[in-house]
Amino acid sequence: MAMAATATAAAGAVAAFTSGRRISTSPPSSLSSPFLPRAAGAIVARRRATAPTAAVLVRAQAAGAKKSVLIVNTNSGGHAVIGFYFAKALLAAGHSVTVLTVGEEGSDKMKKPPFSRFSELTSAGASTVWGDPADVGAAVGGASFDVVLDNNGKDLDAVKPVADWAKSAGVGQFLFISSAGIYTLTDQPPHVEGDAVKESAGHVGVEKYIAAEFGSWASFRPQYMIGSGNNKDCEEWFFDRIVRKRPVPIPGSGMQLTNISHARDLGSMLTLAVENPDAAAGKIFNCVSDRAVTLDGLAKMCAAAAGTTAEIVHYDPAAAGVDAKKAFPFRNMHFYAEPRAAKEVLGWTSSTNLPEDLKERFAEYASSGRGEKAMTFDLDDKILSAVGAAPVSVAA
Amino acid sequence: MAAAMASLKSSLLLPSPLSDFSGAAVSISTQPRRKSWQPRGARMQVSAAADAKNILVMGGTRFIGLFLSRQLIKEGHQVTLFTRGKAPITQQLPGESDAEYAEFSSKVLHLKGDRQDFDFVKTSLSAKGFDVVYDINGREATQVSPILDALPNLEQFIYCSSAGVYLKSDLLPHFETDAVDPKSRHKGKLETESLLETSGVNWTSIRPVYIYGPLNYNPVEEWFFHRLKAGRPIPIPGAGNQITQLGHVKDLAEAFTRVLGNPKASKQVYNISGAKYVTFDGLAKACAKAGGFPEPEIVHYNPKDFDFGKKKAFPFRDQHFFASVEKASKDLGITPEFDLVDGLTDSYNLDFGRGTFRKEADFTTDDMILGKKLVTV
Repeated sequence: MAMAATATAAAGAVAAFTSGRRISTSPPSSLSSPFLPRAAGAIVARRRATAPTAAVLVRAQAAGAKKSVLIVNTNSGGHAVIGFYFAKALLAAGHSVTVLTVGEEGSDKMKKPPFSRFSELTSAGASTVWGDPADVGAAVGGASFDVVLDNNGKDLDAVKPVADWAKSAGVGQFLFISSAGIYTLTDQPPHVEGDAVKESAGHVGVEKYIAAEFGSWASFRPQYMIGSGNNKDCEEWFFDRIVRKRPVPIPGSGMQLTNISHARDLGSMLTLAVENPDAAAGKIFNCVSDRAVTLDGLAKMCAAAAGTTAEIVHYDPAAAGVDAKKAFPFRNMHFYAEPRAAKEVLGWTSSTNLPEDLKERFAEYASSGRGEKAMTFDLDDKILSAVGAAPVSVAA
Repeated sequence: MAAAMASLKSSLLLPSPLSDFSGAAVSISTQPRRKSWQPRGARMQVSAAADAKNILVMGGTRFIGLFLSRQLIKEGHQVTLFTRGKAPITQQLPGESDAEYAEFSSKVLHLKGDRQDFDFVKTSLSAKGFDVVYDINGREATQVSPILDALPNLEQFIYCSSAGVYLKSDLLPHFETDAVDPKSRHKGKLETESLLETSGVNWTSIRPVYIYGPLNYNPVEEWFFHRLKAGRPIPIPGAGNQITQLGHVKDLAEAFTRVLGNPKASKQVYNISGAKYVTFDGLAKACAKAGGFPEPEIVHYNPKDFDFGKKKAFPFRDQHFFASVEKASKDLGITPEFDLVDGLTDSYNLDFGRGTFRKEADFTTDDMILGKKLVTV
């Protein structure tokens, strides 16, 4: 099927579709800067009007060439695993990878996954270094890269030095791991690319900055992830209760939708952006799988993966006197984004299959011995006794 | 071409001396985000328009068919409506100019009959011969067999199925490849789809979710509008965060038109509905916006606390229910024009807001929920 005029018009139509509103498609802006290469046969990308202020030499890359990619990776938290899967996907595709983990190689944080498994990256040819994102140049020993992914900063204070260094070093493509948490609440899910975001959010400041600094930039907004090597608990919270035959307390109706993606989906999306920089340029991507799951559904799937059923108990956090953020690992509301831009612009497809993926997750959980460890469930107990005492509430 | 490909979209807020159903080229929207004057097809792969076809529409006088038949005639096809004749074969639609209505009603043909009379269906269709059949009101496979028997050289059978066939799931949205529920109350639609598949005919099946728009006979938006107009609270079961999805009837008619003669649509199923989903609470608020009402008071309740008997206390199934429409967008370039508030405004301006509706207001279940009876003035 012939693309409508140019990819820009298509991208405009895509953006219009994804936001559910018509926005006018602007005509493709001509690629006037001599400093920005146009890959042979590549489609014209939408560009912001800002012209580069300094003469920078950008490495001309023909489409399909292998890239050298620097991943600046956080040393903890839910996003740490993204760099791990991205690195693996890049290496499998023949690109060269350097992972700069924030902090020191010898720190205690490095004893946890995915850092504890970096040998899987180095044996596949990646370089792993440690350092301060405020001085990337020193950390990478003056090496140069085609692509940089900042998977560390949550605000401009943290990302600006990385972005500035990348620009001065002639990095062609700057990618950023943002967050789907920046979308403003909506009655009309899902969150799609182009929807309003909380202007005060740190990630928003970063997106604006890199959009102004780079012709070829993209921002990826993830939600929750599962996958071996995860630094932060996700499904484990359910398994901990299920294997101990404890009820699973879920706030509200349990109907809240969220997105749990396998980290390999994020790796594949990021890799497609690296391999299709013109298509990805200037774009926001919801970095999530293409299915949402209810909180109740997630509990049931975890139980099924463990070969049993879940006893779900709903509760009103206020009535139970608990802070839902502490009592439950997911947002107590619909938190639901769809990866429409990635599918339409990058031709990306999701491979997350929660029922199947959770089986693999449970197998790892079971073999880890975590299910036999002594654990206390103080907040659960508080909730359960509150619910036992009060009638079931239907409040969200 | 723009005139021939006239959109049926209305100018929403500006009273226009021209018909609200007039061509896109003359309709002006004050809503900057929806350029209704852009001719249809501007964004899409514009293939050569299908040659004029001799089309049979089963039904066509109630809701979807009203818009679909007009669009097909505007595109130059011959359209015959198969109905019992109980409802008028043609009716002037709200906002439709006399000239447009005259044009339509002079061209549309009628084949009077009862589709439950399978012998009549077979003989009458076979005698007339048609190139394409749109089955808008079929519920059972037995209704479709005589049509297929009568028309062995049928070029395409386009079926209005339903997203209600999907098996309820905790993983959403529904994609066309998802499991279907052979026990659902829409199983007749499923059986029809199976029949089409096994028959060898070139078929296309469209699965809408909840359809809305002017002249809706299913009290979807009307249910909210009655309460908003009466200044009543809106009783919504459960937490009100159940997510559903509405698709405008004009977008649906457009989708039906676009699959005609499209080889990509051969033997394919498509979900057709709005680009975004909506919570029950959100829908109440959107209806209020559409009708210019103040933000509604929403009252949540546990349906299990009540016995409503045969009455329906709320017009939607009490669960998440929504489907991805990306297949139609990706494969056929079909995307909905109306966003929810725009679409509800269109419905309000052309129907309820003019004082017309299908079902009288019935607040019996509301009063049970609210625990009191309001005295109506």
